[in-house]
Amino acid sequence: MRKNSLSFQIILRVLLFCIVLGGVIFAIYYYYSRTTIEKTTRENAINLANNTIFRIEEVIRPSEKLPENLAWMIETGALPKDSIQSFLKKLVKNNPEIYASAIAFEPGMFSEEKQAYAPYAYKRGNEIETTDLWSPAYNYFLMDWYQIPALLKTPYWTEPYYDEGGGEALMTTYSVPFYVNENSKKIFGGIITIDVSLDWLTDIVNEVKIFDTGYAFLISRNGVYVTHPSRNFIMNETIFTRAKDQEQPELRKIGRDMIQGVSNLSEITLKDRGHVWVYHRQLPSTKWSLGVVYPHREMYASLRTLNFIILLLSALGLSLLTFFTIRIINWQISPLTKFAKSARIIAEGNFDAPLPVIEANEEMKELHDSFAFMQKELASYIVNLKETTSAKEKIESELRIAREIQMGMIPHIFPPFPNLPEIDLYASLESAKEVGGDLYDFFLIDERHLCLAIGDVSGKGVPASLFMAVTRTLLRSVADKNRSTAEIVRSMNKTLAINNESNMFVTFFVAVMDIQTGELRFCNAGHNPPVLIKNKKEVSFFNITKAIPIGLFEDFDYTEERIQLETGDQLFFYTDGLTEAEDARENLLGEELLLDVIRKNADATPKKLIESVIQAVAQHVAGHPQSDDLTMMSISYFGNIGKNA
Amino acid sequence: MKSGGLSKIGLVVSLLILLNYFSAGAQGEKITFTPHWIPQAQFAGYYAALDQGFYKNAGIDVEIIHLTANISSFEFLKNGQALVVSSFLMDAVKQRAAGIPLVNIAQFSQHSALMIVTKKESGIDEAKELNNKKLGIWSSGFDDIPLAFMREKKYNIELVRILNTVNLFLMGGVDALTVMYYNEYDQIINSGVDEEELNTFFFSDYGFDIPEDGLYCLEETLHKKKEALQKFVTATMHGWRFAEQNREYTVDLVVEEMNKAHLPNNKAHQRWMLDKILELQKPGNKNVKRGHLLEQDYQRALKIFESSNSEYNKEALLFETFYQPLLQE
Repeated sequence: MRKNSLSFQIILRVLLFCIVLGGVIFAIYYYYSRTTIEKTTRENAINLANNTIFRIEEVIRPSEKLPENLAWMIETGALPKDSIQSFLKKLVKNNPEIYASAIAFEPGMFSEEKQAYAPYAYKRGNEIETTDLWSPAYNYFLMDWYQIPALLKTPYWTEPYYDEGGGEALMTTYSVPFYVNENSKKIFGGIITIDVSLDWLTDIVNEVKIFDTGYAFLISRNGVYVTHPSRNFIMNETIFTRAKDQEQPELRKIGRDMIQGVSNLSEITLKDRGHVWVYHRQLPSTKWSLGVVYPHREMYASLRTLNFIILLLSALGLSLLTFFTIRIINWQISPLTKFAKSARIIAEGNFDAPLPVIEANEEMKELHDSFAFMQKELASYIVNLKETTSAKEKIESELRIAREIQMGMIPHIFPPFPNLPEIDLYASLESAKEVGGDLYDFFLIDERHLCLAIGDVSGKGVPASLFMAVTRTLLRSVADKNRSTAEIVRSMNKTLAINNESNMFVTFFVAVMDIQTGELRFCNAGHNPPVLIKNKKEVSFFNITKAIPIGLFEDFDYTEERIQLETGDQLFFYTDGLTEAEDARENLLGEELLLDVIRKNADATPKKLIESVIQAVAQHVAGHPQSDDLTMMSISYFGNIGKNA
Repeated sequence: MKSGGLSKIGLVVSLLILLNYFSAGAQGEKITFTPHWIPQAQFAGYYAALDQGFYKNAGIDVEIIHLTANISSFEFLKNGQALVVSSFLMDAVKQRAAGIPLVNIAQFSQHSALMIVTKKESGIDEAKELNNKKLGIWSSGFDDIPLAFMREKKYNIELVRILNTVNLFLMGGVDALTVMYYNEYDQIINSGVDEEELNTFFFSDYGFDIPEDGLYCLEETLHKKKEALQKFVTATMHGWRFAEQNREYTVDLVVEEMNKAHLPNNKAHQRWMLDKILELQKPGNKNVKRGHLLEQDYQRALKIFESSNSEYNKEALLFETFYQPLLQE
C-alpha cells in the first residue's frame, strides 16, 4: 500500500483515532481499577489486622483476668497463705493457655521472717510442679516482671523472652501488683504473674496469608519482633535495628508509630521485600503492635494480568481492525482505479470503454452514472463536432474558391501595361477575411484613356464580396470614354440603389486618365481622397468633394472634377483599411503617418511605395490581427517623355 | 521466667575450639581467658585474634570462657578457671585493694563510655537536675564512678538497682539510667527512642574519664607464664587491629559467638558497639600508646577509690606494682 494512497491515509487516521481512544479508555479504566484495588486493600488490611488482633485478644483478655482475680482474692483474704501453692497448681492445671503462675511477695509480706518468697507453679510434661523462685542467683526483685509493675504500681506485660529452662518456648509474663490490708491500710504486697506461651499467638499471626509473600508480624513494646516470616528476626532484631541495618529511616518512623499505638497505613519500599503497604494497630492488652504487609506488586498482580490481557486483546483487535479496514476500503474504492483506467481509455477516444460494475456503493454508483453520462455526452459532442467541422471545412473551401474568383476579377498582373511607357501602375489587396469587400480596377477604355477605380463595400465577408463583384462588373459595363466619371458613378449608383434590399453601399472613386495629356477626370463617391505626389517630393491629399457612397440614393447627383498631372507625378489610392489599421491598443495608423511614409518614399516606384506602406502598416500593428481589408493602388505618370524616349 | 535472659547462661560456658588439631602438633601453652561480660562486640578483638589464628601463630592455645552478668570475671581468676580476665580499671583497683594479687598487663580502653541518659520529657536537661531523681544503676557493680560523681556534686539521687535491661527506663520507672554508650544507650535507640528525645551526661565530661577494659592476671601467673601472656597480649592487639580494619567481618564473628551462647543479637547493635569500643581504644588527647595504661588515669581511678575507702594498703596499689605492661609496642 503506497503511503499517499487513499486507503493508507484512511487506515492511518482510523488507527490513530482508535489508539488514542483506546488509550484514553484504558487510562480511565486503569485509574479506577487501581483506586478500587487500593480502597479494597486498605479495607482488607484494616479488617485483617482487626480480626487477628481480635483473635489474640480473645485469648489474652481472659488470661489477664486470672492474676487480677487472684490479686483480689489475696487482698480480701479469700486465699489463705497456706493454700497458695496448691491454688497456683490448680490454676495452672485448669488453664491450658497458662504455662506457669507465681505470687512473688515483697520482703516480709508473706511472713515476718521471709525476706523473699515467690511460690511458683509450672508445667513439666503433664505434671504441675511447684517451687520457690527465690535464690541468691535469682533475685526476683530486680527482674523486669517484678520490678516494673512494682515501681509503676500497674499491671505489666513483659517483653517476650525465650524460656530455655522449662517451657522451651517463646513466653511472656503478665504481672499484676497486689495489696494486703494491714491495720486497715492497703500496702503493696507483691506481684502475681502468669507466664503465657506465645506459640498460639505465633500460630495466629503466621496463619495470616496475604497474596503470595505478604505477611503479618508482631512487635513488642520495644519494637522486638515477636513473630516474623524471617525467623532469625524473632527476638534478635527490633524494627529499629532493621531500619538501621537497611538504612531506612522511614521504617523506623513506622516502628515508632507502632510502639506509640498509632494505627496507620503506610507505604514503604523495603530493601529486602520491595514496595509494600503496611497497616499496623496496637494490641490493647500487651501494647504490642501488629503489622500486616501487602506487597505492592502482588496487590496489583490481578490488575497487571488483566492489563496484559486487555493490551493483548487491543493489539489483536487493532490488527483485525487494520486488516478488515484495508480489505473493506480497498474493496470499496477499487472501482476508482477501474474508473481511472476507463477515463484513460475514454481520453484515448474510445467512448465505449467498459465501466466498472458497481453494486452497493451509492457514491460509486453516482460516479459510474457520471462517467456513463460523460461517455454519452462526449460521443454525441464528438459527432456534432465532426458535422460542424465538415460543414466548416466545406464553407472554407467554398470561400477559398470564392476568393480565387474574387481575386480573378481584379487585375493582378504587374506591370499591367508594359507597352505604355507613360505610366507605371501597381496595386495590392489583402482581405481581412477569405473574401473581402474592397476592390480596385484599372483598364484602358481606349488607347488614350485609362480607367482607374478603387472602392470599399460596407460590411465584410461574402455579402461585401458579392456587392464588390457587382460593383466591379457594373464599372466595366458602364465605363465609356464619352461618359464623364460622374455619369459613370451616377449610372452605377442608380443600378445598385435599385433593389438594394440589404442597404449595402460602396465608397467609390473612379478616375479616367488621358495618358497623353495627363488630364485626370475623376468622381469620388464617399471614398478616402487619394494622395498626389508632385515632382517626387510634394505629397498631399486630393482636395475634393467627398459625396456619398453609391448604392444609397439612386438619384444622387455626383459631380466630376479634374486635375492636370505633370510628368513625374504619382497618385496613391487606398481604402480606409489602411488609415484605420489598428495596433493592439487600438491606435489608428492615421492619415499623417500615411503621408509621412509616402513622403519618405516619394521617389519610389508604385510597387516599392506600396510595399513600403505595407511594411509601415505591419510595423504599426505589430502583429495585431488585421480587421479590415487593406487595398492600395498607385500610378506614376511619366507623360509623353517616356513614349518619346 | 525463672531462666530468662542471662541467668540461664550463668554457668554455661561457650567453648571455642581454636586449634586445628591435625596441624602438626603445634599445641602451645594453654591460656584460658574470661571476658567480663557476655559475648558481644566489646570483645571482638579476642574473637578476631582467635579466628585469624593470631594466638595459634604466636604458639599459644587460647580458650575463651564466658561468664554471666551476675558473676565477676575476677571470680574466675581467683578460682583458677581463667588465667587472664578482662575487667574495668575501677573494679581491678577495688579487687587489688581487697588483697587479690592481680596485675594489669594491658589496657585497651583509654576512655570512659559510662554515661547517664534521661528522656528530655523528664525535664532533666542539666546534671544538677538529677538531684532528687531516680537513677537506674546496675546491681552487679560498675557503680564507683556514678557514686563518686554524686559525692563530688553532692547530689541526692535515689538509686534503683536494676539487672541489665533498659525496660524500666523505657517504661518510665526511673528518671535516668546509667548506661554504657556502646551498649545500653544504643539499646534504648533500638527500642524506638530517638536520640533527639534523650539528654546525655557523659562522666568523661565531668572529670571521670577513667579507662575501662583492661587485661588482668594474678602476679603468680605473670611470673610463671610471662612469655605466653606476652604472646597473648600482643596477639590480642593484632586481633583488635584486624577488627578495626575488617569491621563487617568481625561483626559476623561476634554474632556467631552470640548465637553459640543463645543470646539474642543483631548486627546493627553489634556494629555500633564495635565502632564505639574501637573509638574508646584510641588515646585521643591522652599521652599514651594504645594498649597501655596512663599513670594519671590510674591515679585518678585510685583517687575515686580513695574517696570512699580511706584505709587500704597503699603499697599494694602503687602504679608500678599494679601495672606490669606486657605489650611490646
